[in-house]
Order: sequence, then C-alpha cells, then structure tokens
Amino acid sequence: MAEFEFHGGFAELAVSTRVRLARNFKGYTYRDLTAEKQKEIADKIYNAINAAPAIAKQFTFSEIKAGSEDALSKVETHQISPELAQNGGYLIATENGGVSIMIGEEDHMRLQVMGSGLCPKECMQEASRLASLIESQIPMDYDKNLGYLTACPSNIGTGLRASVMLHLPMLERAGGISELLNAAGRQGFTVRGAYGEGSRAVGGFYQLSNQITLGISEDNIIEKLIEICTEVIEKEKNLRHRVSSQHELELTDGVCRAVGTLKNARQIQTNEAIDCLSQILIGISMKYLQGVSPEDIWKTEQRIQPAVLGGTTNERDKKRADILRNLTKPLEIII
Amino acid sequence: MLCQHCGKNQATTFYKENINGQTKQLALCPQCAAELTGETPTFGSLFNSSFWNDDFFKDPFSTWGSSLFSSPKQAISGGRRCNTCGMTESELRRTGRAGCGDCYNSFSDILLPYIKKLHGAAAHVGTAPKQVEQSKNPLDELKTRLSDAVKSENYEEAAKLRDEIRRQEGEQNG
Repeated sequence: MAEFEFHGGFAELAVSTRVRLARNFKGYTYRDLTAEKQKEIADKIYNAINAAPAIAKQFTFSEIKAGSEDALSKVETHQISPELAQNGGYLIATENGGVSIMIGEEDHMRLQVMGSGLCPKECMQEASRLASLIESQIPMDYDKNLGYLTACPSNIGTGLRASVMLHLPMLERAGGISELLNAAGRQGFTVRGAYGEGSRAVGGFYQLSNQITLGISEDNIIEKLIEICTEVIEKEKNLRHRVSSQHELELTDGVCRAVGTLKNARQIQTNEAIDCLSQILIGISMKYLQGVSPEDIWKTEQRIQPAVLGGTTNERDKKRADILRNLTKPLEIII
Repeated sequence: MLCQHCGKNQATTFYKENINGQTKQLALCPQCAAELTGETPTFGSLFNSSFWNDDFFKDPFSTWGSSLFSSPKQAISGGRRCNTCGMTESELRRTGRAGCGDCYNSFSDILLPYIKKLHGAAAHVGTAPKQVEQSKNPLDELKTRLSDAVKSENYEEAAKLRDEIRRQEGEQNG
C-alpha cells in the first residue's frame, strides 16, 4: 500500500502532492531497449543508490511483470504508471511506496516522490536529493541549452512534473473550474479531473500540474504551483463558508446521506464511493463530522480501486462496501 | 498508449480475458472497455484515473502536437535518419518521440521550433547534473573554494587558489 513520505498542510482540501523527474542516461537509446540493457540501467541506478547506505536501506528492487495483477494494483495506488504496468520493467521503491523509481517507461528513469496534503517543496527536495545521488554516478543525457533530454519534447528541460490533487467540489458547483483552468494556463499550468473522464470530475477532485518544463527553474515551478494552489484553496474555502451559510440544509443533507450510505452499504461501485468520500471530506472540513481524518480517507480511496480489490465486479463492490463501513465506523455527525 | 481496439483514444484500462486457458490482454480506452467488457464506462475511466495523464503530448495527435507531428505530407517527405538510433524523420513525426538523445541534434530543425512552441522558451534554466555543472566553468568552482577557504581562515590554501584563479583568468583573457 502506498503511503506518503511527506505530510503537507491543507490536508482537507489538498489531497496529495506528486513530483516526478524524467531522466535518461548517456549511451542508451530511448526506444527498442533490449531486456538486458534495461536491466543494466536498473542495476546501475540501484548501485548508485547503494553508494549511500543510509538511503539505500529504505529501498527495495523489484521486477514489474507486464500486465500482472501486482503491477495493476501498483498503478491504482499511484506507485507506478500504467505504461510501466503494461510494458513491464523495474521498480526501485521505498517500502511505504512514497518514493518510486520506475525503469521501463518511455524515459530510462522516472523518479517520483508523493506526499499527502500540499507539500511540493518537500517532495521536490527529496526528488532532487535522489536524482543528484544517481546523476553523480551515471552520466546523463543533458544538453546545456535544452537541459535534461527526454523521449517526449514536452518533458525536456527540467524533466519535472509537479502536481497537486485538490478537492474543489464547491468551486466546481459555482462554475469556477474553467476560470481556474484559464488562470493556471496563463502561468504554464493545467487542471484536469483526477477521476473520471470527460467533463465530469468525480467527487470534485482535480489535478493541478505544470505544463512547461523548459525555460523555468525547478524552484520556480514549485513556487508557482504552491501559489496557485493556495489561491484556489482560499477560494474553495470561501465558497464553502458561503454555501454553508446560505444553503446549510442542502449541504448537511448531502454530507449526512453520504455518511448513511458508507456506514450501511453492502455493495458499492467506485464512482458512488468516491462521490460519498468527497461529501465526507466536505463534512470534516466544515466540522459537521468528526472521528476520521482526511488522510484516512485518502488512503482508503486507494484501497477501494478495482484492481487493488481484485475478484469479480460483485465481489469488488462487496469488499469496497466492507472497507468503507469499517472506515466510517468511528465517524460521528456532530451538528 | 493508444487503445488497442479503436486505435484512436488514450488507453486507460487493461483488460485481460481467459478463454479456454488462453490469456488475451488488451489496453483499452474507457469507451471500448465498456463495450467489450459490459462494464459501465465509469469503471474503465476510474480504473486508473487521469492521475498519470500528465504527459500532455503523449498522444501526437493531441491539439498541441498536431501542428507538427501529424502532417501526413511532411511524414512522407522525410527520409532522414538519426545515426545513433536509426529513427527516421517520418517515425519522429508520427510518434512525437525522440529515439535517443542524439535525435535532438539529428532533427534539430524539426524539434527546436517545436520545443519553442511548446514551452515558449528554448533555453534551460534549471539544475544541471553535477558532472556538467563542474565542467561548465572551472573558475567558478575555484572561486567557491577560495571563499570557503577564506571563511575557514585557511589562508595558505586561499593564497594558492587565488594564484590559480589569476593564472586561469590570465589564460582566458590572453
């Protein structure tokens, strides 16, 4: 189960933070890498980490078998990318899954650090520390004008993708997402629904991340990300207070119904579960509910995904309901 | 990765079926996953969410990428190859991916304007790997060492460094 290395602020509204660095090594092509070459790269990275024993002991080396159940469940806990699960490769990761180094993606190495809440700075520091450890021992594909070279030109430069998952149900309700999208776009950032496809973001969860990787420093990307996030969080908070004073009955009704559903359901599909968890998060932040932390909810979100649960659809829906009843046991309505 | 059924949309679901002991595996987009598995589309889309969908140009036919990579005329005209990895110009245009670091040199006339368009910049200002940083300007490193030596009152070392800096500056200017 992926847990987080870092715990940032605003946990009720900023669900999680992820920082990812794309790197390629000199002397290897990006495509058509033989299995031997890929293993060679993985070994080199692992050896580089082993040069720092204090860091190395936190990491384990494993092979990702293409399309395996284990690979798919790692995708759902956000530990590896779908591409790695599909292609197969190697994973060097901390026991708790907060840091994962993927080998077998379109770039030789994808180094990812995750944290809960809003913690891009902390994640970036950890990612940089690990990247420099590796880079000091393995020559990189680096160009002084273009920066770190990547398979896709969209990642070139810093190779950095930093993102924060935000819970913005009220902003969504007030029609503020397109405005956010425009504002973020002007600064080289983008917003997309974290769950679901198309126009509807299930549960009001959105992912904010940088689009530009060249011509801007890592520190600058991180600072901008934090700036935009804090602004959006402030907006969402204000909207919540406005809604709670003007439409309190509707708001509490939604929250309390979700509590009822999760405390009692015997089978539940992922979408409905995410929607209910979204309501519970609102309830906790508005102090309508107590007994469960936002972090517990985020961890549970990972545990209720289809491949993590396994089995047939019916079995999954039942297991999911069981987990959610368990999660909501200590939950109390306090209004 | 594109859906292996329709070949159009981004695949988000991995579908595995076992018929008489033969396992078949497909990467599908939400729509095809729904069609083939009978699951609701939301299941497919939730399967991995767009959490990972952050390589904005992974799909070369995306709006941003299309301007450069999906013009069929250009694709046919290209016969050049990267000497290092063998990537051809048409492959580069089709996939939107460099085959190796040298592709950025081999196809710089295609890639550089594209990069500039994507990022609004064509010069890296972020960190560099340690090895590169050191080789960039040995004088800077000497100067850092000099100031460290002065701070730690290691005047003998500082004098040596000062002389070395003067010598190297003399070489550069002369």
